[in-house]
Amino acid sequence: MSMDFRLFQWLIPAIAILFLVNQLLRYRRGRINLGEALFVSGLWMVVSLLAIFPDLISGYIAQLLGIKSNANAVLFIGTGCLFYFQYRLYRIQVQQRRIITMLTRKIALDGYEEEQDV
Amino acid sequence: MPEQLPIHVIIAAYNEAPVIAQVLAEIKATVDCPVIVIDDGSTDQTAHLAKRAGAVVVQHPVNRGAGAACMTGITLARQQNWSCVVFMDADGQHLPKDIMAIYQTYRETSADLVIGSRFSKTKNEIPWLRRRFNGLANGLTNLFCRGSYSDTQSGFRLLGKRAIESIDLVQDDFSYCSEMIIQADREQLKIAECPIHVQYTEYSISKGQDFQVGLTTAFQFLWKIMFR
Repeated sequence: MSMDFRLFQWLIPAIAILFLVNQLLRYRRGRINLGEALFVSGLWMVVSLLAIFPDLISGYIAQLLGIKSNANAVLFIGTGCLFYFQYRLYRIQVQQRRIITMLTRKIALDGYEEEQDV
Repeated sequence: MPEQLPIHVIIAAYNEAPVIAQVLAEIKATVDCPVIVIDDGSTDQTAHLAKRAGAVVVQHPVNRGAGAACMTGITLARQQNWSCVVFMDADGQHLPKDIMAIYQTYRETSADLVIGSRFSKTKNEIPWLRRRFNGLANGLTNLFCRGSYSDTQSGFRLLGKRAIESIDLVQDDFSYCSEMIIQADREQLKIAECPIHVQYTEYSISKGQDFQVGLTTAFQFLWKIMFR
């Protein structure tokens, strides 16, 4: 099997290595936990593998999902990933809204207590 | 002479300056009890006018929604050890005379939560679209309850001590109405309904939930139940 490397096949893994090193450093500094470090590192590794072996992996995914076209398989997986990330963003938004509401409530009730004391 | 009742009336208000003074004056003329306005970050004169009308005002620094304001009222009642609170809408659609009726139902049934129902017995002129929306919301809410309630979206409610202690709303928007009933049902609190009257004005129709907000609320409510 001849490997005729195109630009993206070495550029994307190179960027991924930078991000991987960054993740490891962030983990060592205690800025992220092990789970987060492993998740993001895994993600970049998958992206790198997809860039290095695009036809092989997309062909395998297409075969696995029973989809004839490699491009459709990649689109299908891409859409799935987008939904997942959308869900994660939604969860973060819900948590932050809850925190803002709790803070707002605390400020309001503290203000009431102060007014009663005066 | 206003009738003395051992309750606290709580009104969640957001930008209700055109009507808040009148609503409070009508309540004060009907019942003799403390009235608390939870000002949900209004950008108009709501808080100022409510204070001037003799209400105690608890102010959210920013707008968080009807559910968040209601939960602030419940938290306040818990902190102050109040035994019975009545929630009313600030737009003037609820009639203060029904405070007596809802309190009477509370006394007679020993319920922990009394819901003021616009669709039970009383004949109210409710816009067609709002009626449809309420039917949809009732069906959706009753799906998650053991009981069946005729007006799950009513903002006119009485909470007794057990409800004050156990209800913990997380929904900031209008879906708190359903959430409160579902929680009360799960906590095995006693829920009763009391027929109430409503007067829809152009102003009150412009406030609150319309069909579009209702659909969004229903979608968010289902989403939150599925992915909590």
